Amino acid sequence: MTGYIIKRLFGLLPTLLIVAVLVFMFVHLLPGDPARLAAGPDADPQTVALVRQDLGLDRPLPEQFVSFFTRMLHGDFGASMRTRRPVSTEIAERFTPTLLLTLSSMGWSVILGMSLGVVSAVFRNQWPDRVGMAVAVSGISFPSFALGMLLMQIFSVQLGWLPTIGADSWRHYILPSLTLGAAVAAVMARFTRASLVEVMQEDFVRTARAKGLKERTVIAKHCLRNALIPVVTMMGLQFGFLLGGSIVVEVVFNWPGVGRLLVDAVSTRDYPVIQALVLLFSLEFILINLIVDVLYGLINPTIRYH
Amino acid sequence: MKHRLTQLLAALALGAAVSLPALASKDVVIAIDQNFTTMDPYDANDTLSPAVAKSFYQGLYGFDRSMKIVPLLAESHVVSKDGLVYTLKLKRGVKFHDGSDFNAEAVKVTFDRVTNPENKLKRYNLYKNIAKTEVVDPYTVRFTLKESFSPFINTLAHPTGVIISSVALARLGKGIAQSPVGTGPFRFVEWKQGDFVRVEKFAGYWRKGYPKVDTLTWRPVADNNTRSAILQTGEAHFIYSVPYEQAEVLKSKPGIELTASPSIIHRFMSMNTQQKPFDNVKVREAINYAINKEALIKVAFSGYAIPADGVLPRGMEHALKLGPWPYDPAKARELLKEAGYPNGFESTLWAAVNNTTWVKAIQFLQQQLGQVGIKVQVQALETGQRVEKVESAKDAASAPVRMYYMGWSSSTGEADWAMRPILASESFPPRMYNTAYYKNDAVDADIAKALNTTSADEKDKLYADAQRRIWKDAPWAFLVTEQLLSARNKKLTGMYVMPDGSFDFNEIELK
Repeated sequence: MTGYIIKRLFGLLPTLLIVAVLVFMFVHLLPGDPARLAAGPDADPQTVALVRQDLGLDRPLPEQFVSFFTRMLHGDFGASMRTRRPVSTEIAERFTPTLLLTLSSMGWSVILGMSLGVVSAVFRNQWPDRVGMAVAVSGISFPSFALGMLLMQIFSVQLGWLPTIGADSWRHYILPSLTLGAAVAAVMARFTRASLVEVMQEDFVRTARAKGLKERTVIAKHCLRNALIPVVTMMGLQFGFLLGGSIVVEVVFNWPGVGRLLVDAVSTRDYPVIQALVLLFSLEFILINLIVDVLYGLINPTIRYH
Repeated sequence: MKHRLTQLLAALALGAAVSLPALASKDVVIAIDQNFTTMDPYDANDTLSPAVAKSFYQGLYGFDRSMKIVPLLAESHVVSKDGLVYTLKLKRGVKFHDGSDFNAEAVKVTFDRVTNPENKLKRYNLYKNIAKTEVVDPYTVRFTLKESFSPFINTLAHPTGVIISSVALARLGKGIAQSPVGTGPFRFVEWKQGDFVRVEKFAGYWRKGYPKVDTLTWRPVADNNTRSAILQTGEAHFIYSVPYEQAEVLKSKPGIELTASPSIIHRFMSMNTQQKPFDNVKVREAINYAINKEALIKVAFSGYAIPADGVLPRGMEHALKLGPWPYDPAKARELLKEAGYPNGFESTLWAAVNNTTWVKAIQFLQQQLGQVGIKVQVQALETGQRVEKVESAKDAASAPVRMYYMGWSSSTGEADWAMRPILASESFPPRMYNTAYYKNDAVDADIAKALNTTSADEKDKLYADAQRRIWKDAPWAFLVTEQLLSARNKKLTGMYVMPDGSFDFNEIELK
C-alpha cells in the first residue's frame, strides 16, 4: 500500500506539469492587457510601460514561460499584480477560511445526506422515502445564491440571530455552511439511496437474511459497506469542488476565501494568482482522488493495489 | 451638564446590570462595493484604496465635501511668476503615528519616491512633472516643476498625494504598502485580505478632539443584497454604493437614511468623428436630438441622475452651463436627411462596462436611435475586451470603435483632467481615452494654454471657449451626470460621499 501511494505521488508530477503549461497558455490568451488594467484609467503610455516592465510582461512569451517555470520549481509563484504581495501569502491567507468552511459543510452534509439515503432505501417507496427524496431534489434544484439570500434574510435580517458576513467566530459559519452543504447533502442522499437499493437486491443479502440475521445488521454491515464505493467517490468529488471555493456562496456571505480571490484575480487579469490557484485546485483534486482510492481498499478488502 | 451626568449614571447602571463596559467603544463599520488593492496610495489606480487610506494618511492639501481645496498639512503657498516654483509653508507640531515629526524632510522623501521611475509606482504619471523637491527650512518646502502647470495644487490635493513618515519608509521600504504610517486621524491596525481593513483612533492627532469614534472598519462587500442586508442587521453603519433597485426598499426602513449626493461622474456616448457617418456634425447633432435624457434617467438610473448640462459636470470649477441638449426627434430626422441619410444608417454601440445599469442604458439608447432610423447593434464590453478593442487600438484610421457609451470622473476634481484625457487630440487611444477621436485645434490650444496660465480669469475664459466649441462640435451625445447613492444608519453622522466617489469622514460620529 505504501509503495502504491508513493508511486501515485510521483505520477502526480507530470499531471501538474501539463496543467501548468495549459494554464499559462490560457491565461495569456485571455483578451486584455494586464499592464493597462493595473496602471488604471489615469495612466499615460509611459506609466503603462513602467508597469509592464515591472510585471515582466515586456519580455517575449517563451522567456516569460521559462522564468515562470523555473521560479515555480523553486516554490516561488511570483507576486500578485494587483497587490504586489507574494502569491503564496495571498493564497495562504485565503485558503484557511475556505478549508474550514468546506470541512464544516462536508461534515454535516455527509452525515445527514447518508442517513437520509439509508432511510429512503430501507423504506423504499414508502412515505419516509418520498419525503427524503423530495427534500433531496429540492436541495439539488435550489440555487445556492438564492438559498444563501433566503437564509440571510430570515436569520440575520428578520430574526437577528446570526451574523451575515465575516469569518470570526463559529456563529459566522452556520449560514454559509448550511448554504454550501445543502446541495452536497442532497447529492449524497440520492447516491446513497440508489447504491443501497441496488445492493439490497443482491443474492448475498438474501443469504444474510436467510441466515436469520437481524435486518439492522444486514443493512449496516452487509449492504452499506458494499454500497459505499460510489458514495465515497462522489464525496471526494464534492469535497474537491468545495475546496476550490464556492464562488457564489463566498460572494453572497463575503467569505474571505479562495473563490473570491479567483474572481478578483480574473477580473484584473492577475496572471500569477490565476496560475497558482488553478495549480492548487488541480493538486487538491489529485490528492483527493488518491485518498478516495485508498479508502476503496479499506472499505472493500478485495480491492488490492500494486 | 446635568443631562450628561444622568447619561453617565444611566450608562454606569446599565454597565453594572449587564456587565457591559460603561462607555461602550465606538466602532464604525463601512461597507463598500469594491475591494481595496493596496494601502500605498501612490501605487493605487482606483478611487477606493486612497479613499480608505485617508483614515491614516493626509496630504498637504485635500478636498472638502464639495471638492473645494482646503489646506491640511500645508499652511499656505506662494507661486513664482513663471508658474514653475511653488513654495509651501508647513503646519508645525504634527506627529506621525510612529512618533516622528512631520516636516519638510518627510515631504521631500515622499515626493522623491514617487517621482523616481525606478520605484515603478502607478501614480508616477500624476507627479512626474515635479523636477525637484527641496527643503528650505524644516517647515518650508519648495517644489520646482518641469513645465508650468496651473492645477498643481489640485495635484497635491489629489487623494493619492499623501505624506508618509520618512522614518517608516526607510525602515519598511516596499513594505509600507502593508504597514502604512501617516499623520491621519486613525492609526492602521490590520488588513485582513478580502475581509476588512481596521484602523483605530490616533491619540496624538493634531486636530484636538478628533476623531470622535474609536475604530473604523472598512469592509469590501461586493454583493448588492448582502451590502443592503448588513446595513439592516446593524453589522454595517454605512454602505456605498446602493444599487438603484434597492433604493426604494432601503428608503422605507426605519433607522436608515438614503442619500443621493451630487457627483462629477459624467456619462456620455462618444462618436468616432473620423469615421463615416459620424464625421458629419449634422449626424452627431441629430443623435443628440434623438435621445430623451429624462427618460434615460428614469429607465437606467431609477431617477438618480441629472441631464448633462454641459461638457463639464455641473458643480465643477469652470463648468459652463450649455444645455441640456433638447429632445426633438423630428429635428433629428430632418438633420439626418440634410446630412444625406434620410433612411438612417446602421452602426454599433458599445458600453465600457458590462453590468445591469450599463446594459439598460445602451438598450435604451438603441431604442431611441431606432426611432429616428439609426439601427445599432449593442454590446457591453467585459474589461478585457474593452482594453483590447477600444483602449489598445493602434491608430484613428483602424480603430473599430463607433458609438461608445462611457463615463468619466476627473480624479483631480478640476477641468483639465475632465477634458484633456477624453477630448484633446493628444489623447487618442492607446495614449488616453479620446474615443471620439475628436480633434479641434482651437480646443487643443485652449486646454494647453489654460495649463500654463496662473491667472484664474484667463483660465476661466479659455475653458469657456473650449466648452462652447466642444458643445457645438458635439463629438459626444451628452447624456447625464450621475448621483451617488449611499445609505447610513441614522445613528451615524459626519460620513459623506464626495462628488468623485471618495469619502469625507473627518466629522464621523456615532450617537
